[in-house]
Amino acid sequence: MRLLTHNFLRSNVKGTENGYPLNIEVTTINCEDSPLDKSFLLNLLPKVNYPALRTAVQQISQHCVPPLKEIPEQLDVSDKESNQNLDHETLKNLHRVLFDVYLIEGWLVCPDTGRKFPVKDGIPNMILHEDEI
Amino acid sequence: AEAEAEAEAEAQIDSELDAQAKYNKDTEHNNHNPIKPYHERSWKITIHTLGSTYTRQEQNEMRSKFSFLQFPGPVQMKHPDDEYLFIREVELDAMGGAVYPRHCKGEDGKTKKELIPENDARPPLACYFGRVLGNGTLGRNWRGSNRLFRYSLKKRTYLGPTSMDSELSLIMTNLAKVQKGSFAFDPFVGTGSILLTAALRGAQTFGTDIDLRVLRGRNPNENIVSNFQQYGLPPPELVRSDNSIYHRHFRKHLPLFDAIVTDPPYGIRAGARKSGSRRGDGEVRPVLEEYRYDHVAQTRPYAVSDVMADLLNVAAMTLVMGGRLTYVIPSMLDFNEEEDLPRHDCLKVVSVCYQPLQTELGRRTVTMEKVKEYDDRKRDEYLEGTWVNGPQSAEKVANIRERLIEAAKKKPGYEEKAAWRKQKRKETKEAKKRAKLEGAERSQFQVNQFNRR
Repeated sequence: MRLLTHNFLRSNVKGTENGYPLNIEVTTINCEDSPLDKSFLLNLLPKVNYPALRTAVQQISQHCVPPLKEIPEQLDVSDKESNQNLDHETLKNLHRVLFDVYLIEGWLVCPDTGRKFPVKDGIPNMILHEDEI
Repeated sequence: AEAEAEAEAEAQIDSELDAQAKYNKDTEHNNHNPIKPYHERSWKITIHTLGSTYTRQEQNEMRSKFSFLQFPGPVQMKHPDDEYLFIREVELDAMGGAVYPRHCKGEDGKTKKELIPENDARPPLACYFGRVLGNGTLGRNWRGSNRLFRYSLKKRTYLGPTSMDSELSLIMTNLAKVQKGSFAFDPFVGTGSILLTAALRGAQTFGTDIDLRVLRGRNPNENIVSNFQQYGLPPPELVRSDNSIYHRHFRKHLPLFDAIVTDPPYGIRAGARKSGSRRGDGEVRPVLEEYRYDHVAQTRPYAVSDVMADLLNVAAMTLVMGGRLTYVIPSMLDFNEEEDLPRHDCLKVVSVCYQPLQTELGRRTVTMEKVKEYDDRKRDEYLEGTWVNGPQSAEKVANIRERLIEAAKKKPGYEEKAAWRKQKRKETKEAKKRAKLEGAERSQFQVNQFNRR
């Protein structure tokens, strides 16, 4: 699972509306290198929840070898036009955190109920138990 | 004017060849196959007369009608540089035979006898002429292997009973306009066969499924990700989730996907399931905390009418404007395209392609496009409006498996065939058992030999 996916996942156990963003507990993590696809990234950025991304990066950064480069503390990504003006270094770092970091084993924890969703072989298991529907 | 058109066509082909030559320089394969200039290229015209036969002479008459194109190169029937295809389309029945056949059938039902003049005189539905870009012969690279064949399911490391054949997957992703830089989604990803063709076209891929076993595959070397690795493709993002409650697994987000391409579960080869208790009385036993870690969540049957309603609604919600949903739907002969296809206020049907499979069963590949923004407040309205004819239309799709079995049972010779199949299965099972025992005996023998030493 990459942070791109994590950015959209939430917990809705018993209808809680405060299950986003999920906290990440890392057991095993992998870092790869993929080429930056600028147009895809620019297309995607307005849909990304930036504060959630930043929190996620802070939670996993220590586990990454080499450690992840810092992304800006605050960034308004909602406007496609202004995103074009982001400097190359920032875009590269954003690409890296969104696409190149794979959580292989770990947990996604609901910030409201504490329910832990397992991540195994890189696949998060979000299925709610029958008493959580 | 004719000369102008010809010169324009020549210039068009020349510029295509230039682009091709540049592409070839950048790739390793084609150094042994340099691009010939236009006037040296050999060519042929292939004739496809669907559902009808024409003699060699009749075909050549059709070919001569295109002599005005005046291709400069030599005609070469075997492995030409360029192949052109002429298709003459007539009305076809459910089995792909002509509705108004040219010839009447012989006594064995097969040999064509005399011409039926009224049928032969009927004008075609349409005629198509174009240049073949890739197929059995043209798809071959210099090593002689067919490019399309590379993606055949026979070569795939991880397969399941519901894996979609590569040809249909490629067509579906084409219909959904999946291209480089697209974000493609398959909510019923299964073994990932459709998503793989999306990735082949350069898309970022995302797949979900409620079945954890099929997502994780048989072992680390036989799963969805290993299939992608087999073709050197970047891995898909996978999530185990339930499409019937997409909005509960995923936060509210701006439209995300350019294409949704999928083969929903219809209960023919794989039953559809959704989250929730199987208990009909509504009473759900709470899962005790100490068992929660290992608890396998209960799932319950997911009616086909709901599968489709949810699929269309998720598509309307998550597709960008102009984004496409392409899905397959099995249909028997009583299916009416106008009335029985599921609908959504935000989606417009772009195309429906029918493929006959058996006498009474076919499948349709339906493509829809998002034309209206999704309104959260109208969710219930959207879902209720899915089936114009109400549950009847959904039923036509839902019970196909049972209806097929019923139809097969009524055919003559069914009982003998069923008994023969049962006998065969028994024999295979016993042969396997014997082989296993022999194998075990052999290895035990080897162990004993080793111990004696």
